[in-house]
Amino acid sequence: MALFAPPPMYADPTMAADKQHAFNPYSENGGSILAIAGADFTVIAGDTRQSEGYSIQTRYARKVWQLTDRCVIATNGFAADGNNFVKRIKQRLEWYEHAHQKQMSIKAIARLTQTMLYGNRFFPYFAYVILGGIDEDGTGAVYSFDPIGSYEREACRAAGAAQSLIQPFLDNQIYFRNQTPAPGAEPFVPGRLPLSTVLGLVIDSFTSATEREIAVGDGLELYVVMKKGRTTDDLVGSDNLIKNMQVQELGALGEGGSERTFLVSLPLKRD
Amino acid sequence: MGSPMEYNGGSVVAMVGKDCVAIATDLRLGQQSIGVAYNFDKVVAVNDKLYYGLPGLATDVYSLREHLRFRVNMYRMKEEREITPKTFTHLVSSSLYEKRFGPWFIEPVVAGLPQPTELDPHPKPFISTMDTIGCITTPKDFAVAGTAADKLYGAAEGLWEPDLEPDDLFETISQTLLNAVDRDCLSGWGAIVHVITQDKVVTRRLRSRMD
Amino acid sequence: MSDAPGGGGGAYSFSLTTFSPSGKLVQIEHALAAVAGGDTSLGIKATNGVVLATDKKAPSLLLDTSALEKVAPICPNIGFVYSGMGPDFRVLVAKARKIAQAYWKVYGEYPPTKVLVQEVAGVMQKATQSGGVRPYGISLLIAGWDAHRGQSLYQVDPSGSYWAWKASAIGKNTVNGKTFLEKRYNDDLSLEDAIHTALLTLKEGFEGQMTENTIEIGIVTCPTADQLVEKPGERLPPTFRKLTEAEVRDYLAL
Repeated sequence: MALFAPPPMYADPTMAADKQHAFNPYSENGGSILAIAGADFTVIAGDTRQSEGYSIQTRYARKVWQLTDRCVIATNGFAADGNNFVKRIKQRLEWYEHAHQKQMSIKAIARLTQTMLYGNRFFPYFAYVILGGIDEDGTGAVYSFDPIGSYEREACRAAGAAQSLIQPFLDNQIYFRNQTPAPGAEPFVPGRLPLSTVLGLVIDSFTSATEREIAVGDGLELYVVMKKGRTTDDLVGSDNLIKNMQVQELGALGEGGSERTFLVSLPLKRD
Repeated sequence: MGSPMEYNGGSVVAMVGKDCVAIATDLRLGQQSIGVAYNFDKVVAVNDKLYYGLPGLATDVYSLREHLRFRVNMYRMKEEREITPKTFTHLVSSSLYEKRFGPWFIEPVVAGLPQPTELDPHPKPFISTMDTIGCITTPKDFAVAGTAADKLYGAAEGLWEPDLEPDDLFETISQTLLNAVDRDCLSGWGAIVHVITQDKVVTRRLRSRMD
Repeated sequence: MSDAPGGGGGAYSFSLTTFSPSGKLVQIEHALAAVAGGDTSLGIKATNGVVLATDKKAPSLLLDTSALEKVAPICPNIGFVYSGMGPDFRVLVAKARKIAQAYWKVYGEYPPTKVLVQEVAGVMQKATQSGGVRPYGISLLIAGWDAHRGQSLYQVDPSGSYWAWKASAIGKNTVNGKTFLEKRYNDDLSLEDAIHTALLTLKEGFEGQMTENTIEIGIVTCPTADQLVEKPGERLPPTFRKLTEAEVRDYLAL
């Protein structure tokens, strides 16, 4: 009678017993980040909402971190990967400081970032990284990366859920795309805007993105890295420029007396 | 084949100004990543106070444009008057909903100035937009549609401000469209902008990057 | 394809309305005779509105006249009154309401008076040419307001002919009624004046007592600019409405 018995479940590959739910090691946690370089400063910003699908996991999760006195990192994409990447890079920077008795330059951090990202070529960190800070000449610098380490130095970059909303605006306002100087006027040079203008653009970018992109909102954290010896009056004196804006200086990580980093925070719409 | 909404590419944006409205479109016609033509105007005039744009599947752009031309001409003869922007929006909407279960792959954008009347001597500028099955929204600021919609939202949200005069509105809508389509592979290849005021319509062709 | 019963095409379907050798459509003349025998209705256009009025005499004391409706709102801006056969009127009212709602569905607003008049006239004309049907035995007075043409008053006959009037009367005593209206009408009549003129005209040749139970009145009121401003969540007030029995009583008392 065994001839007519049904075959065992494992014999049929289409049977449910043979099917497994594949574990998906990645997620996408929304939010957006943005960096703009000036002549003697850089602004690096990110919102604080962390979400998965239509659910908000937290209204305050940091995406932007100070690495050295002249470099700030922002990550976007899968929060776990981004956080872990920041942790690992901080560790590498500490080792570097012990070995070399100095902080790593932003240029070197950029190359290190590429090496570390590409090291995971076949199981990448799902994180879009932006570095912002002051380079060895004292000029504002922005480096942007894809998840496996392709990178480029730019005057500005937006990434994340609202990249498609913010980048065209930045192209226009930072790179002066599709604009022509008035006859006889100075030609446009990207990366030379005053801090107050840049702050305005960053805040406008995020309030606009918050208006239209559900994954962006709750709060904005905006880091300003300033060249050594630069005046801070245009930032510290501007508390009242925008309602509910708070400015605080972050203490030096190195010996002090070099570049200065400020954290500007303000609320974004929570709906 | 991918989504019919992205097959040919193209985008339209409309904006409200002070006693004026503007509507602008890119000129690209493509077949997925291949560019086919750079003279594909997606904006049509109903009359000199009312324009509409039809971004989406190009074959439906032609069909729907003819359908609406027929309906508006019949309306004009039956009613012995010009159709208002609001009524036209409802006409487009009901035309789209007729094909609820096999839709036109089009997201229309309407922009117009209602004719002043004795009862309403200062009518407000009007814009509206719809999804593919005719669900209407009538924004107070701007309306966007097409493959660069998300980019247009970002640019418009950053550049638009209330009560722009016709010249400033032209600059705002042009910069919004150009910078948005420059970041969209499926839109671009030149643009056309119409600025509608009570006494005239100014139409300008914009040059843009051709990649 | 006609939607009237038996009104479909086909080789064996013949219109009952056929020309006489002298070029007349006798069926239509019979229909007009039915109208001429019906209770009087009239309409007057004023500077700020229109009034429709009709005689609704009950054939029996036992009839509940409050349930009788001879003036019918079609949509918020248009109303009908008729002379002739009541059942035919109700069929046309149902069709007209359907036409108005279909128009609303397409354009998001109710039809201008003239457009609805043309549509209804088309329905009535079809009944003079289709197979297996007879003409409607009524004439209509249609009053309405629209943003394009303002207030207007139309008459539609069983043939499908229609006219725009400053004032008109249909049904019994039409000739007397029109003569009376011609004497009383002038171009700066207000709605209040028009309502009184309508009552006076109706009184000419009215059989029996004229009370709020034996007449019916509908009015069109021209809206002011601020009445046309849509408030969120609210509908615009209708421009056509029927007068309540109490309102009619008050007008009769004056």
